[in-house]
Amino acid sequence: MSSQRQASSASQVPHLSPAELSYLYTSLSLPKNPIRPDGRSPTQFRPLSAETTILPGTNGSARIGFADGTQAIVGVKAEVEKTVLAADTLDSRSLAQHGDALNREGEEGSAAVSGQGEWVQMSIEIPGFRDDDALPVFLSEMMRESLVGSVAGGDVDGAKEMAGGLKGRLVINKRWHWRLYIDVLLLSQPLAYPLPLLSLTTHLALLSTKLPKLKSTGEEDPFFDDDWAAAEYLYPRSNTSDPSLSAAPSYPVRPPVTLLVIAVGENVIFDPNREEIAVADAVLAISVTRSSDSETLKLLSIRSIDPPSRLTQPGIPNSENVNMIGATAAPGEESGGQEEVEGVWRPRRGGVKRGVIARMVKTVLGKGGVGEEVLEGLEGVEVQ
Amino acid sequence: MAITILPPVVEDARPYEPDSDDSMSMDSEEDVEMTGISRPHKRPRLGNSNIGAGIVTPGEVVTDDPQWMRGHGTYTNPLSTSIIATVAGTVQKTNKLLSVHPLRARYTPEIGDLVVGRIVEVQSRRWKVDVAAPLLAQLPLSAINLPGGILRRRTSADELQIRTFFSEGDLVVAEVQSVHQDGSASLHTRSLKYGKLRNGVFLAVTGTGGSAASSSSVKGGVGAGNSASGSALAAPGGSGTGGVVRSRRQVWTVPTANGGGEVNIILGVNGYIFISKNPEGADAASSATENVSITRMEEMVSSSIYSSQNDDIPPQTRREIARLTQCIRVLVQNGVRVDEETVMGAYNASLQVDLEIGDDEDEEDEWRQEGREYLEGAKAQDILELVKQQL
Repeated sequence: MSSQRQASSASQVPHLSPAELSYLYTSLSLPKNPIRPDGRSPTQFRPLSAETTILPGTNGSARIGFADGTQAIVGVKAEVEKTVLAADTLDSRSLAQHGDALNREGEEGSAAVSGQGEWVQMSIEIPGFRDDDALPVFLSEMMRESLVGSVAGGDVDGAKEMAGGLKGRLVINKRWHWRLYIDVLLLSQPLAYPLPLLSLTTHLALLSTKLPKLKSTGEEDPFFDDDWAAAEYLYPRSNTSDPSLSAAPSYPVRPPVTLLVIAVGENVIFDPNREEIAVADAVLAISVTRSSDSETLKLLSIRSIDPPSRLTQPGIPNSENVNMIGATAAPGEESGGQEEVEGVWRPRRGGVKRGVIARMVKTVLGKGGVGEEVLEGLEGVEVQ
Repeated sequence: MAITILPPVVEDARPYEPDSDDSMSMDSEEDVEMTGISRPHKRPRLGNSNIGAGIVTPGEVVTDDPQWMRGHGTYTNPLSTSIIATVAGTVQKTNKLLSVHPLRARYTPEIGDLVVGRIVEVQSRRWKVDVAAPLLAQLPLSAINLPGGILRRRTSADELQIRTFFSEGDLVVAEVQSVHQDGSASLHTRSLKYGKLRNGVFLAVTGTGGSAASSSSVKGGVGAGNSASGSALAAPGGSGTGGVVRSRRQVWTVPTANGGGEVNIILGVNGYIFISKNPEGADAASSATENVSITRMEEMVSSSIYSSQNDDIPPQTRREIARLTQCIRVLVQNGVRVDEETVMGAYNASLQVDLEIGDDEDEEDEWRQEGREYLEGAKAQDILELVKQQL
């Protein structure tokens, strides 16, 4: 029971004493200027080290290590699969177009062009958890849904292939498609809620993913170029032709990034560590991506995660402590323990104000906000 | 500024480099190295000078020369003379005794150690305390001070309200009273110095255990390696073996800068550390405790020893506590031992680094200053340099 409860909650919360929780909460909720236990600013991430294309047997892979020792590896594997079409979609499509050069670039709105969400499979391995435990299942679904849902409209140079988002990119032709297996492996014990780490690693792995170049055209059975050097990136890059322009390639379309944001009091805090999650009023997983047609970021999904602070033990104020000599004098008047006493921990119940949630989202999405900075930082990682 | 992404740093798992000509003769049957990247290959064993170089892993044959005797961390098959490592670590030779010193290990309690522990279980007459040892330590109800310092037998009433003293999750500072046959410890808090902890932060680093030999070699990459985690099996700081060491003073008070007031630091020998605000009026009490006799204890025991309500702690103090926490983390991540000298050195160094940066970057815009309290990134190297100068 207790392990189940922990698995569904935001992290494997250590037992913290009420005094510690109270200290942390007060520090983090100081107006305007929270003091985090590790001195970071509210929007600062822990430094991380990243590399891509580390697994030779995969289509794309990445590794990210946080400074606290947690590490994740993601491998992406693609397989060609025959598309099973429902009978009615087959009928409704005009077969006259068959001879035309109908590939994934043409014919918006055709049933074959829009892919299916099930073509992306994600599995997450976390040490100490079975693969049907709540935490891995929830995490993988949370990351998959934003990945599949990230439709990037518009056709800026080179982005035409991504017309239907990732799903559309997986379509080869009407009868064949790619199936993408994303295997996420957390190498260390989950010290904090592992979502940001896994999401960033998946992002990098997908950026480095290459698919073999298609030689066949139209509705032929797919036939690929043997030369791996000619393979194309799953997420196409715009200015590969002009390497002198900028060192880091820019992507018209990018895989989504899921960020973990907590609210403590009025403050919004990013990349929380385990202790910080333990006192959070609200924990949100916010998925964003950059859409190709506009400069701003696009919000894909928000999930709230059960904050573990509601399960913690309350502190006992001195006035009710039987071990305090002064308190034993007045047993008759019970204070009921409802009101807040300064310096005493109360489990956080009842959620947060709408304004706080709005500010959390705004801090991620805003111009020059955290979301942009994270995406920029990830862009700087050399993908090759 | 929000995110720093570093290139991967090769962990310095120093691959075994054979002494050039010697190993050539011994490994003659091995194939030629093709790539130049050393892969894990068989090491020359036997009692030559190569024993002790590099790291052995559990199950690895350290030597099969019968002249060696096996020590800690090794194992011999009764049918053979070879000595096999049972832990991952470095080989140590004492005359003809061969032992393997683990890279990291849990804390082994010894009588008289000052430890910080966390209550994990409440039983009928005792608490079970996590002290980062292989087994939970026990704290009997009879080994604590009753509120008000009353000296009497523990009654069933005390047993019933055992959770009012300590309950699950509470932090205690205690002393190891005895060590049992199986290596588990019994604790006591029968001193005014010991008891429940509040008004501060807890952090877990490597304790005294397998890593007593504190070499102060420093790792190259900042923040790239493993580090102290929240877990009891705290970090192996790569090459170094930092962590709390037994020292003369495990508890002291820091007069902090920037108006932070006085801050107490408790370094548990087991690697659990508590940094808290020094309560007002504690100076008078602590000076008086030096010569208080056990018969007068009830006069001295403060009524608030079992309180779980924090005092009012000003933001300046919280900031300095955070700074001290980071200083200790920086030391541990880089394999420097943690004791009063190094912690104070790191603290002063961090102040100095901030001062220098403050001079340089007066005109920086505000958001660049935001992360300046974070010490574990780029500032860590500067702090370490300064600390090492003082050592």
